[in-house]
Amino acid sequence: MSITTHRMTFPLSASDARKLRAGDQVIIDGEIIITAGLPTHARFLDCLDGKEPFPMNLHGASLFHLGSYSRETEGQFEILYINPTTSTRFNPHMPRLIRELQLHATGGKGGLDEASAQAMQEAGCVYLSFLGGGCTLLSQAIEQVLEVGWTDMLTHYRVVRLRVKGLGPVTVGIDAHGNNLYARIHEAAQEQLKSGA
Amino acid sequence: MAITFEMIKQVTAQLYERSLKQIPDDTRQALVQASSRETNETGRRTLQIMIESADAARSQQSLVCSDSGVPVYFMQIGTQAQFEGNVKQAIEEGFAELVATINPPLLPHVTNPLTLERGYQGKGMPITTFDLVDGADYIDITCSPKALGSGRWAALEIFSFPDLPTIENFVMETVVKAGSQPCPPVVIGVGIGGSFDYAAKMAKEATLRQIGTVNPEPILVDMEAHLLERINKTGFGPMGTGGDSTSMAVHINYCAGHGFTPVAVCFNCWINRRTRARCYNDGRIQMLE
Repeated sequence: MSITTHRMTFPLSASDARKLRAGDQVIIDGEIIITAGLPTHARFLDCLDGKEPFPMNLHGASLFHLGSYSRETEGQFEILYINPTTSTRFNPHMPRLIRELQLHATGGKGGLDEASAQAMQEAGCVYLSFLGGGCTLLSQAIEQVLEVGWTDMLTHYRVVRLRVKGLGPVTVGIDAHGNNLYARIHEAAQEQLKSGA
Repeated sequence: MAITFEMIKQVTAQLYERSLKQIPDDTRQALVQASSRETNETGRRTLQIMIESADAARSQQSLVCSDSGVPVYFMQIGTQAQFEGNVKQAIEEGFAELVATINPPLLPHVTNPLTLERGYQGKGMPITTFDLVDGADYIDITCSPKALGSGRWAALEIFSFPDLPTIENFVMETVVKAGSQPCPPVVIGVGIGGSFDYAAKMAKEATLRQIGTVNPEPILVDMEAHLLERINKTGFGPMGTGGDSTSMAVHINYCAGHGFTPVAVCFNCWINRRTRARCYNDGRIQMLE
C-alpha cells in the first residue's frame, strides 16, 4: 500500500484536516502551538471555565504535545529543542479542548482515546504522530519563537507558539473521519491475544 | 593502585551523557534490519527516520530524546577492586556536575513522588544498584537512564506455580496494554522467579543484554523467539502507527524461587539507552559501549 505525503501550512483549517486520511504523512510549515504539561492542560480547562485568560489565542490552533527547552537570552526566548510526549496522558482534557477551541490539528506520540477521536470528527481535527526520540531532527525545523506563555511554569510545561519549516514527516494517527489507527491496531492485538496466536 | 573518586565521578557522568546522545551499535543495526524486513510502508519510513535521528544526534552531539529520564546505574564491583574515596558520593557529584554543564541543557525530570516537585536532584538519585563479581579487579558500570514513555508500562504479577503459557500470556497482555506508548520497536526485559524485588531487577538487567546474544537456558531461547514472533504479529509497529516491527528483542532472565512466581516485564524504547565502562585498579578506563 502506498502512502501519501502532504506538505501543508499550519494552523490547519477544518477542510484541510478533512483531506487527510489515517496513515498519510504530513510535513508541517507555518505556525504551531506546543506544550508537554499535564498541569498546563488542567490550566487550559480553567481558562475555558473563565477562571483565567488563555496565555495566547488558541482558537482554531494546531496544538501539539511537544515538550521544549526554552530559555530567555537578551529578552528573547530561544528554543533549544523540541520532542513529543505521550498524548494519552491528556485524554481527560482533549475532548473539551478540541470542541471548545475548535482545534483542527493535535498530536504528539501514542495517540488519543475514542472520546477524543469523536470530538476530532466533530471539529474537523487530525492527530499527528511525531517521532519519539526525534529531538535533533524535529528541532532543526524551528524558524522562530513567536510567543511564550505561562513562563511561571517549567520550560516544557510552557505554552509556546512557533514558526516551523519542514517539521516532520509526521503520520496521521487519527483522521477527522473517525479512523483511529491506535484503536484499530489495539483491537486487533487484543483479538490476537484472546485467540492465543 | 586504586579506583579513584575522580575516575568514578567522570566515568559515570560521561556514560550518562553518551547514553543521551547516541544509541548502541547493536540497536542501530537492529533498526536497520527491521527496516529491511518491515512490510508496512509507514512503519518502514518511521524506522528510517529513527536511524536518521540517531545519526544526527550522534554527529551533532545533540540529544536523541528530550526526555533525559532519571539516571540509572548498574555497578558490578569486583571483589579485588580497590577504592580511594566514596563511590556513591562520586556518582552523585558526577551527575550534579554534568547537569550543570551539559550542552544542550537537560529538562528537569527528577520528580519527588510525594509532592510532584521536579528538579535535577532528589532522594535516592541517581538510582544505583551494586553487585559483586568474584575475583575481578575492576568496577563495571552500566548506565541506562529511564524516561517516562518506556518507564510507565512496566508490570509485575505474582503467580502460583504458573505454566509457561501463563507466563507468556502475561508478557503479551503487558505488551498489548503498552501498545504504541513506549516508542516501539522496543527491547523487552522479562524476569521470572526469585522474589518480588528480584524478578523486577532481573527484568531490568535483561533489557541490558546485547541484541542478538543467545540465552544460555534452552527453554528461554524458545520462549524469547516465540514471544518476539507473537509481539511482532500484534501490528503496533514503529511508534504504534502500524507495522510488524514492534519489538527488536525479548530477553528473559530467571531464578529459582518458591511456588509463588513473580513475573516482571519492562521496556526500553527504540533508543535503548545503554552505555558501559570498566574502571580497573591500575587506573585504566575501558569504554565497552
